[in-house]
Amino acid sequence: MTTQSDDLHLIERFKDGDNSAFEELILKYQDRIYNLCRHMLGNAHDAEDMAQDSFIKAYQNLKRFRPEASFYTWLYRIAVNTCLDFKKRPFFESLFRTSDKGEEFVLEPISEGPSPEKELETRQMMHALQKGLAQLSPKFRTVLILREMEGFSYEEIAEVLDLSTGTVKSRISRAREELKKSMTKFTEQKRN
Amino acid sequence: MKCSEAHKLISPYIDSELSEKERNAVENHLNVCPGCRTELEETRQLQGLFEGVAEYKAPYGFQTRVMANLAAGRPAKRYSIPILTRFAEAVAVIGVIAIGMISGASLVKGPSPEKAQIMVASLSLDLFEPTPPGSLGGVYLAMTEVRDEK
Repeated sequence: MTTQSDDLHLIERFKDGDNSAFEELILKYQDRIYNLCRHMLGNAHDAEDMAQDSFIKAYQNLKRFRPEASFYTWLYRIAVNTCLDFKKRPFFESLFRTSDKGEEFVLEPISEGPSPEKELETRQMMHALQKGLAQLSPKFRTVLILREMEGFSYEEIAEVLDLSTGTVKSRISRAREELKKSMTKFTEQKRN
Repeated sequence: MKCSEAHKLISPYIDSELSEKERNAVENHLNVCPGCRTELEETRQLQGLFEGVAEYKAPYGFQTRVMANLAAGRPAKRYSIPILTRFAEAVAVIGVIAIGMISGASLVKGPSPEKAQIMVASLSLDLFEPTPPGSLGGVYLAMTEVRDEK
């Protein structure tokens, strides 16, 4: 059974009144949705809140879900919109919440055992990447996260963001360009 | 193919999102253009950096908390800003700036001569009594003044 038909089977059970089917859907997608929210928002507290909200919204709207669509792109669309709405929250609300600056990326252990210089260079580049991503506009940041961190194809990104694949293609290209520019600027500032 | 066209296709090229015809055209251009080859390498390096970013896992008990929230009937938070709130925020910001400008201008200009006189008079030490009104000290001073006059 494919993932999509697995999901449809669980949704059918849910529509028939079996709430445990929704629990199975949470278990299946919680890591991916949390990872997305964490990269979109930059800190653990907000990421958990928004990932929870995404599942609550999915629960409330699942009865209206059309089986011809893919469940996970539908769920991702809810999560992306929830994070973008959260980013646009009124200024007075952001005063009472945690910082938007985000945390350092956690690096995957590097298997070859690099020299200390190489490791320092990698850390500096990752820091520049984090700073560069934080400076991108939400629409550029979103396409890059979906492409680079979630590994979505252009077609899937188009489905999640409700855009044409042509728009996704040019947006990813421009987002990478902007990211390279701000990373170069950041590393030059560090050197001076 | 011109560099401007190749520039637009480098990103989808490394993502394997081009048709065979487009891919061949890009590769033919890359074979003869060192500038676009450098851009391709830089974009690949950038892509490689993302591979070093660790994936986060949902915190322990996440699913239980979602189900508990659903059972408690907790609604999802809504953060989209109503137009009225945006307008109120803008008005508040403009108001604070206006108050700042007015009070700044009054500090630079200073008060009118009449107002200045009143202010100086209000600061005069004559207003202060040597003792608090109605105090025992005041009665004593009054008595000594009467005695001195005699």
